[in-house]
Amino acid sequence: MLQALCSRSLQAARLCAPRRAVVVEVVRGRKSRSDPIAKSKEGRIKTPPPVDPVEMVVLKERYEEYQLIISALRLEFKEEVQRKKYEAETGSMAEERARKEAEEHSALMAWNRAENQRMLQLRLQRVQKEKEEVEQKEFEAALEREQKRQEFIKLKEEELLRLQEEAKHFITLENLDQRIEEALDNPKNYNFAIDKEGRVIKQTVLK
Amino acid sequence: MTVNYNTTGELSDGARNFVFFKIPQIQYQNQRVQIMMFKNMTPSPFLKFYLDDGEQVLVDVEGKNYKDISLHVKKILGKSEDTLQAEAEVKASNPANFGPKKYCLRECICEVEGQVPCPGTKPLPKEMTGKYRAKMAAQQE
Repeated sequence: MLQALCSRSLQAARLCAPRRAVVVEVVRGRKSRSDPIAKSKEGRIKTPPPVDPVEMVVLKERYEEYQLIISALRLEFKEEVQRKKYEAETGSMAEERARKEAEEHSALMAWNRAENQRMLQLRLQRVQKEKEEVEQKEFEAALEREQKRQEFIKLKEEELLRLQEEAKHFITLENLDQRIEEALDNPKNYNFAIDKEGRVIKQTVLK
Repeated sequence: MTVNYNTTGELSDGARNFVFFKIPQIQYQNQRVQIMMFKNMTPSPFLKFYLDDGEQVLVDVEGKNYKDISLHVKKILGKSEDTLQAEAEVKASNPANFGPKKYCLRECICEVEGQVPCPGTKPLPKEMTGKYRAKMAAQQE
């Protein structure tokens, strides 16, 4: 927002400013190579800050000593780190450690293989059990079916026998007359009475 | 590392829970390891690890509890207790770390001899405070 405001004010300034002013937004490194020097800096000669030779000599000595010590320390530490790394990789302990690690790894792999074998056995047993169960169920279902079929047959046979028995008492064309005579001779009285105690009385006034 | 498991069935239960509970931790501790899940591709669940030297480690996890699976994997392929302890010690012994007393030597630079003392115990000299400096800068303008 600040930049927008700046640009707006700059736009206004641009309109009233002379042609050869630098027209760039307010950012770091405003001027490029081809831009002219600012009006206030036209005759400027840049001079470095003055140096006191005596002070310079003393300072130089001190700086040299300081830098010597510091760089020596730095190299010491670097060397220590590198030596540690070298020893870790190709030292006497490193080979032993590597060998021990390889041994441990192979031992663990063997243990893992044994575990897998155990799981395999368990799985085989489980599968076997499931198969047996399925077979058992199948067998039982077959028995059930057989039994049901037998019962059905028996039922039908009984029905058949009953029907045969009843067929003996059927009314046919031959004994039609005889049966009519019999029916007329023995009139049946279907009336009956019943009281609240549940006693049934079959004998009525009508004979 | 690949995990083959089934989305249904009691035997894959442990594998499913392992994928849900333990895989994020494993991935966090081994960020450069690719972990892939394959669902309903094989009748029984298993884990397969592809090591750097080309070795493949198969772990059968049918019917196991997810905690058991995690312990099993930790045993065969995890860092041993002493390695972990050594690493923790190395991390703790770096004197350049500042933090809680439990993990690091010092908590703040003000504890070191020759450094600016803690402003909580002894107030800073005027020239070092922010408000004095701001006042001076405002006066200059």
